[in-house]
Amino acid sequence: MDFKLTEEQELIRANMREFCEKYVDPVAVEIDENSRYPAEIIAKLAEMDWMGMPYPQEYGGAGLNYLTYTMVIEELSRSCAATGFTLSCHIGLASGPIYNFGNEEQKQKYLTPLCQGEHIGAFALTEPGAGTDVGAGSTTAVLDGDEYILNGTKTFTSNGPVADTFVVFAITDKTQSAARGMSAFIVPKDAPGFKVGEHFYKMGIRASQTSEIILNDCRIPKENLLGKEGQGFRIAMQTLDNGRIGVAAQAIGIAQAALDESISYSKERIQFGKPISKNQAIQWMLADMATDIAAARFLTYNAAYLKDQGLPYTKDASMAKLFAAEMASRHASKAVQIHGGYGYIKGFKVERLMRDAKITEIYEGTSEAQRMVIAANLLR
Amino acid sequence: MFKISLNIIACFKWVVDHEDIKVNPETNELVLDRAGYRISDYDRFAIEEAVALSEQYGGSTTAVTVGFPAAKKSLKDALARGPEKAIFINDPAFANLEPSQTAAILAQSINNQEFDLIICGEGSGDLYAQQVGPRLAEHLNIPCASFVRKITIEGRELIAERRVDEGIEIISMPLPALVTVLPEINSPRVPGLKDTLAASKKPVVEITGSDLEETVPCLETVEIKATTMERNCEKFDANEDDLKRFVEVLLRAGVID
Ligand SMILES: Cc1cc2nc3c(=O)[nH]c(=O)nc-3n(C[C@H](O)[C@H](O)[C@H](O)COP(=O)(O)OP(=O)(O)OC[C@H]3O[C@@H](n4cnc5c(N)ncnc54)[C@H](O)[C@@H]3O)c2cc1C
Repeated sequence: MDFKLTEEQELIRANMREFCEKYVDPVAVEIDENSRYPAEIIAKLAEMDWMGMPYPQEYGGAGLNYLTYTMVIEELSRSCAATGFTLSCHIGLASGPIYNFGNEEQKQKYLTPLCQGEHIGAFALTEPGAGTDVGAGSTTAVLDGDEYILNGTKTFTSNGPVADTFVVFAITDKTQSAARGMSAFIVPKDAPGFKVGEHFYKMGIRASQTSEIILNDCRIPKENLLGKEGQGFRIAMQTLDNGRIGVAAQAIGIAQAALDESISYSKERIQFGKPISKNQAIQWMLADMATDIAAARFLTYNAAYLKDQGLPYTKDASMAKLFAAEMASRHASKAVQIHGGYGYIKGFKVERLMRDAKITEIYEGTSEAQRMVIAANLLR
Repeated sequence: MFKISLNIIACFKWVVDHEDIKVNPETNELVLDRAGYRISDYDRFAIEEAVALSEQYGGSTTAVTVGFPAAKKSLKDALARGPEKAIFINDPAFANLEPSQTAAILAQSINNQEFDLIICGEGSGDLYAQQVGPRLAEHLNIPCASFVRKITIEGRELIAERRVDEGIEIISMPLPALVTVLPEINSPRVPGLKDTLAASKKPVVEITGSDLEETVPCLETVEIKATTMERNCEKFDANEDDLKRFVEVLLRAGVID
């Protein structure tokens, strides 16, 4: 295994950095402060072909492998984790299942505008009563002639308020266990009976928009069933496997930013007549951060590499996500520590990083859920 | 706007990323061993201007660089920014050229190309000698305008706005010509993902030192050291004595005369 970047990967990463310096860094503080969706950045990402990067060119994508995609999400999240997640949710969670399970017609109709960034995607699995216990969902879908009728409430749907295309999970067969009775559907935002519910006001990744989705006799054509009836649980789990690599990349981006900020601040801040970086206590924090970031990167690139090779990667994606998320949270907190009181003040980047890091331990499966996946793989 | 179809050459240099340059505090020498390289910032404006003009008036852009083998990395980066092809004038001996040599090498390589316009950055991001552009024009025997902040083409005439000490000078000169451009001339585009992927497929012509006549340096580098800045802090009140003292200090420091 060799994760030495190719010349092309290096250039792609450098281009994303240039993109961030020009379009993301100048607004990152403001969009966090105001919980504002950065529509102008998303439009630029679309214009510059980032919105469908890992999907084939025939659907408007750029045909990158998943490893390169991972590096791009990391780089973007280093500037703004909320924007990084908005993109990885659009690409991994929403476009992913349509690409992997959709038929040709569905791909032409829904995947292409997603890849071109004309449409924004969202993934609606979680319900008020069904978080980690995905199978406890109570949203239903009933076939009525040529249409499915969906009823239920989804919660914590990222991109919910701004998305055009939703991948929604609902029970189609109550007599079966969730693993067999759940199905996945493509729901356009203009479907009758579809409504965006309450918007959530969050601790971190505040520029990412999160809301409830309310389905009240929501009618969609029966052609919008993704895969087959009863495949929903599998589609959800496989999508989350992909998504977790994206969350791991997001966490690494946050931790890298925390390290960058800590190195430069500790070299400048003078106490007791010398830069605080001259103290071993500070140096050890920096060394631990750098080491954990490198370890997380190897785990994450390895999971992406396995996926690119068509090898099993469920356990590896969970390990990457678990380790990257926990180390990002830990080190974002250390970065605040290195900044002392200033780190606690709005406007210092580490304050935002600490708030942004926490969510990576929660969504797309909590750390506990990742441990469950890893252990289940070990004990099989 | 009628189409003219311009053949434009944009020259660029692959330079040490100035943000990576460290200084050894004891010797004041520059530490470059961990420095990365990038397309000189000034030359990004040259490339952008060339591409923008060829989009506006029709035509095509060729990006040209003189460098040592590692500068090969710069080609895809440059091509992702819009030029249709690149010329890489490459030799291990081209690592530390002085401006007169770079200009002579460029002139030999460009001489047999068809072109209407050559655009260079005002200076390079490392040496900033501001010589390559004007010297190259001299070698090729074409008119040259430096400090250019705006370019318009009318038929076979180039109209350039130059920022000079006295203000803005507007000049015109016949094509083919050479201009060196200021950063204020444009805002270079950030390459899109597909531009980057397409860059790998664009043609690169390679010229090596052995294809060219040898150039000899006329300067000798004795040593390179970091500049040191000395700062003094003196406080003044707003009373008459202090104001007098303030003027004296400024006179002594040579800030006013
Ligand atoms: C900002 C944000 C964005 C989100 N985006 C999306 C999205 O786009 N789409 C979507 O579908 N969902 C999304 N979610 C939902 C997210 O995936 C869930 O919040 C998460 O899976 C946890 O579910 P829960 O909140 O119901 O917590 P619960 O499942 O109630 O968990 C509470 C606690 O109990 C623990 N726990 C639960 N079960 C077990 C067990 N068996 N063993 C040990 N511990 C256990 C959990 O780890 C956690 O610590 C988002 C959430 C947030 C906050």
